[in-house]
Amino acid sequence: MLVTWKYRPRDTFIQRLDPRTRLLFFFCVIFGLTLPDIWDYRVILPLFAMSLTLYLMARIEWKDVRRVWIFIFILVFMIVGLNALLSGRGGPASVTNSSSPVVFEVLGIDVTIAKIWFALTQVVRMITMTLLAIPIPYTMDPNIYGTAFRKLGSSDKVAFTMDLAFRFLPTFARDFTITMDSQRARGYELEKVNGGIASRLRKLAPLIIPVVMQSTVTGEEVIDAMDLRAFGTTPRTWIKSDDLRYKTADYFMLGLGFVILVGGFVLRFGLGIGEFFIPDFFTNLFV
Amino acid sequence: MNNSSTWEFGTRQVVYGAIGAALYGVLSWASNFIPLPAAGNVTFRPAVAVLIFFGTAYGPWVGFLAGFIGNTLGDAISGWGFFWNWSVGNGLMGLVAGLVAAQIKDFRAQGDIIKAVIYGIVGVAVGMLFASLTEMLTSGIDINTALVGYFVPAFIGNAVVTTVLLPILMVAFAAVASRRGR
Repeated sequence: MLVTWKYRPRDTFIQRLDPRTRLLFFFCVIFGLTLPDIWDYRVILPLFAMSLTLYLMARIEWKDVRRVWIFIFILVFMIVGLNALLSGRGGPASVTNSSSPVVFEVLGIDVTIAKIWFALTQVVRMITMTLLAIPIPYTMDPNIYGTAFRKLGSSDKVAFTMDLAFRFLPTFARDFTITMDSQRARGYELEKVNGGIASRLRKLAPLIIPVVMQSTVTGEEVIDAMDLRAFGTTPRTWIKSDDLRYKTADYFMLGLGFVILVGGFVLRFGLGIGEFFIPDFFTNLFV
Repeated sequence: MNNSSTWEFGTRQVVYGAIGAALYGVLSWASNFIPLPAAGNVTFRPAVAVLIFFGTAYGPWVGFLAGFIGNTLGDAISGWGFFWNWSVGNGLMGLVAGLVAAQIKDFRAQGDIIKAVIYGIVGVAVGMLFASLTEMLTSGIDINTALVGYFVPAFIGNAVVTTVLLPILMVAFAAVASRRGR
């Protein structure tokens, strides 16, 4: 069982973008929403629509992401959404402070219109950011991460660490599965669960120790090889960096990301828009 | 073994940062299909002990890179996406654990092992606290959910794993290192 990257080349708008653009855009949206503390549905809904559009444009097959989405939905709806609905905490104080009419009562807890609207807003706000996070491993070429970080301004050494980590990953996954098979051949029973937590954890040692110790030996050999090639003495060349070039679409996305980031601050602190409030149409549904 | 300064960042740190990251990524990914011990909503991920071990053995930079890149890789190959605050939290976990590296003289000595475990647990606390508290910004949860729902289970699980597995890793490493003569 070898580790396989979830990445697959697809000729889509998203995958034609420069990886740097995608990372920068991702951070612009996240920080644009979270740092100015935006809770206004009039700002969140357009961003949600944009994230959903970008997600669909990535054309990731449903069977690939089904498990991830099930987990996220459980987290978002059951833990976060339900908590928001019942407690109303986690966002702006106005949710719990407002004298919002009670719609119904669960286990002695008043569920107000404000709490219902807040729970809905929070779920949409979280999914907006998740929609941008999930496609990354499926649509970004693992061979280009290191180069992308280098071109984003990280040092040669940090970028090379990224690159090397990607290179080692399949090797260690292979070592791990080989170790697991060998230990099983010797009678090691992974599935046999007994004893307390500590003894069960100790039972995992025969799987972990050989892989980790082998990797420390490999490390010394790689260090020797790199030192012999004078790694780190002068700036290195990054051949793949020729593949990274901002095109028109990249400038457009970077501009959009910048507008979202700055827009969040301007709306919140300049124009006073973006705070949590309950729209009249929603209140009218209940009263 | 630790004749370099704590914050040095050379070839050794680059290579072990990458190796630690790849291992942490692989073992986190393996957590998806290996039956792991669990109690309530606390999961015991053995990968964490490997991350703390890399910090302990090779210093704070290696710990940080292994945690940050490793968590990103683990999430990526499992298909979770990219959750930057948990990656930074994992990085901090390795970094704080790595602050003990310069003080470890003998990986087999009881005193050194206890010191490493204490730094490891502090690292777990710092890293998971960062990740849980920043969830308040990204998911808008309240401090109660952040602490009870995210921090406490993550802290308990990771602290137990560190306490149980880190000493085993350190003793095994002492044997490998002495055989290699470095």
